[in-house]
Amino acid sequence: MTTERHEEPMLRVVKGTKVYGGARAITDVDFDIGRGEIHGLVGENGAGKSTLCKALAGAITLSSGEILLDEQRQVFATPADALKAGIVMVYQETSLIPTMTVAQNIILGREKYMTRLRGMYIAAQQLLQSMNFHVDPTAMVSTLGAAQKQMVEIARAVHHRARLIIFDEPTATLTPEEKLHFFDLIHRLKAEGVAIIFISHALEEALELTDRVTVLRDGECVHTGPTKDLTREILVRHMVGRDLSQTYYADARKPDIKQTRRKKVLSVQNVIMGKMVRNMSFSVYAGEITGISGLIGSGRTEIAKVVAGALKRNFIYGGMIYLNGKPIRYRIPRQAIADGIVYVTEDRKLNGFFETMRIDENIYVGRLATPEGRSTLLSRREQTRVGTEWVQRMKIRAINSRAKIVELSGGNQQKVVVAKSLVQNPKVVFFDEPTRGVDVGAIQEIHDFIRSLAAQGIAVVVISSYLPEILSLSDRILVARQGRIVEEFSAAEATEEKIMYAAIH
Amino acid sequence: MTEVVAMASVKDGSSTARGPATFALKNVGQETLVVATTVLIFSLCAILVSGFFTLANISTLARSVSVLGILGVGMTVVVIGRGLDLSQVAVLAICAAWSLKLIGLGYGLAAGLAMGLGFAIAVGAFNGFAISIIGIPALFTTLASGTLVYGIGRWLMLDGIITYAPENQPLLLALGQGELLGIPIPLVIFAAVALVGHLVLSRTTAGRFVYAFGDNAEAARLTGVSVRVLTISQYAFSSAVAFLAGLVTAGSVASINTNVFSSSLIFDVLLIVVLGGVSLSGGRGSIASVLAGTALIGTLLNAMILLDVQGDVQNIVKSVVLLGAITLDRKLHPRDEETARQGDL
Repeated sequence: MTTERHEEPMLRVVKGTKVYGGARAITDVDFDIGRGEIHGLVGENGAGKSTLCKALAGAITLSSGEILLDEQRQVFATPADALKAGIVMVYQETSLIPTMTVAQNIILGREKYMTRLRGMYIAAQQLLQSMNFHVDPTAMVSTLGAAQKQMVEIARAVHHRARLIIFDEPTATLTPEEKLHFFDLIHRLKAEGVAIIFISHALEEALELTDRVTVLRDGECVHTGPTKDLTREILVRHMVGRDLSQTYYADARKPDIKQTRRKKVLSVQNVIMGKMVRNMSFSVYAGEITGISGLIGSGRTEIAKVVAGALKRNFIYGGMIYLNGKPIRYRIPRQAIADGIVYVTEDRKLNGFFETMRIDENIYVGRLATPEGRSTLLSRREQTRVGTEWVQRMKIRAINSRAKIVELSGGNQQKVVVAKSLVQNPKVVFFDEPTRGVDVGAIQEIHDFIRSLAAQGIAVVVISSYLPEILSLSDRILVARQGRIVEEFSAAEATEEKIMYAAIH
Repeated sequence: MTEVVAMASVKDGSSTARGPATFALKNVGQETLVVATTVLIFSLCAILVSGFFTLANISTLARSVSVLGILGVGMTVVVIGRGLDLSQVAVLAICAAWSLKLIGLGYGLAAGLAMGLGFAIAVGAFNGFAISIIGIPALFTTLASGTLVYGIGRWLMLDGIITYAPENQPLLLALGQGELLGIPIPLVIFAAVALVGHLVLSRTTAGRFVYAFGDNAEAARLTGVSVRVLTISQYAFSSAVAFLAGLVTAGSVASINTNVFSSSLIFDVLLIVVLGGVSLSGGRGSIASVLAGTALIGTLLNAMILLDVQGDVQNIVKSVVLLGAITLDRKLHPRDEETARQGDL
């Protein structure tokens, strides 16, 4: 750490490590912040930013390592402990209680036994005015806009005499003007000696606002330094500069670029859905793997769900989707499946498999839901046949196809979920995070399987946050940002840097 | 840490059927437990309660549990699909009474029954519509629709509290009082309904989809199950079965007393369903287990009547049994925080 700070850091994390059921979220992270410092924290999705901050805010406890506040060792078992020490985290989705007034929210957790309503409103008014916030303390929080809610959150932090405020993506919901007000406020807090951690995907903001920046990658701290030495390019390089010796991805790169364009199967044109998908356009070709990269909230999952009928695009001005030249609009996934479009979910536990059922039953349900597999009565023989066939094809490791799905490992559960969709004979497959929470061996097998699908002439779309996955699988890479496809790379020209650069604004 | 180890060992125990001899409730299964308890209580009653183990009493017992059991089959299908139908008793009373009234007015047996059945199915379809398409939680939908049906029935469709069966319809009375080869007809009907329910749930695609939907509604939707049609059918089935239960009730006493709506009948139905091991979290349970639950509750109630136990005490016993069964359900199938939905029970 080579910064010319005048005083001891206010808060330090020494060798912070957090393990979630075998997977390391952060490893030996050293981090420090001084009084009145604005410290930026950047990194890809899943790099460990939130984990680090949650540990500081007491929402989780570190597996090893320690947190030192004024060189005193601290153990934050609950958020209340952290709050008592003056650390407040302002989450992306606000933690305010919508049915209470602004003033009630501000004093929440610090009420006396008797609270006089009038006194409370006067105190809140004074506090808000001292910070130049134009928010009515008697207003119900549910009636406020995003920026005003943020102000209330901050006022609450100040009321709790916060010494360190952690902002998780604070500017994501703000308009440009509100953003200026917010920056102004941050500087005023800094002048009062409050330390601020600023998590953001918007690198320009981080560069403009912060004094120092820490870059996390794969749970490790890869860079800490004063902002004035940094540029956007350097930051991006730090964020993605992954060790390329991860062998199981290295060999997978296909050298041959397809000579002729195959048949266009799916064409998405100017599709709009609420605020998540704003004018998305792209095409998908038979026999090709199209990778979609982008940060969480870029609309990549939503567009896949729109195409597969799980979400509905806007009814007017919603854009067009063509399947083999024929316009389509699905009300429910069943219709999309009948037309050969399937979506393999990103969260298998939440909406992927049926936990009370066996492997073959799970796969057979998928078969029954298709027009060609439909029958009034169940067929034991068909169920066994389908189960055995797919257990072999997907290399599912289980005693036999009659094993219960809850007894399988994450990778094998994922294979069952994939099989449940592929038994429906799709022509277009959307894989959303196909290898999330899957062990290394299964990742390789799932990747091989996805490639074999494309080789059979099926149009495959892979959505992933993990850049090496996108790079090793895709023939063509699309980058989504803020509900739009902003870049398209061929497999040959794409690099992690280029994709990351396009994905963050 | 020790907890984790303990949980892991339980899981292992259930995965390998003949695993280590560690005794855990999970390995036994609620059905077996309920059947064992039933046999135990039944034998105890047979020995200790005078007049219990007689042909006449067993026959009475069978008749009295039949209505409960028929309703239970309908409720089971709905609860497996992660729903709840509290409007069953209102449908039982109003639709059956309306049928009797129409037949009495000279519409003919077939037409009267068809209209009653039609009304019952319409109520069920409305329930399914409100739950799956409007999105009102099942608890509130069926609570309100039950009261609605009862109100409309009493106000517009029926004349008094009690509707009597028309006199020249022996077939109708036979539903409640007749015997087939010495077996009371209500029991035969119960057996038939249970068989149909069992076949639908275990042998048809629709039944498999009910389990899938109850297990994980969004996964079922993404897999391509038409969840709305499925939900509407479930509630329509439950209502139709309730109408049949109403006819059996009407047949046995030659009349329908609509005040049954304010009795604790629906409570008893839930009791047998939950007791039988149909999880309120959905996706688990079978008709067989409901039969076990029905037998247990039937035995318990009959024995208490023979022992001349006060009504209030009977209620206390039933409540304690229900709470115990739900606690067991929670222990055996803990609700996953992630998959819990708003409005879940």
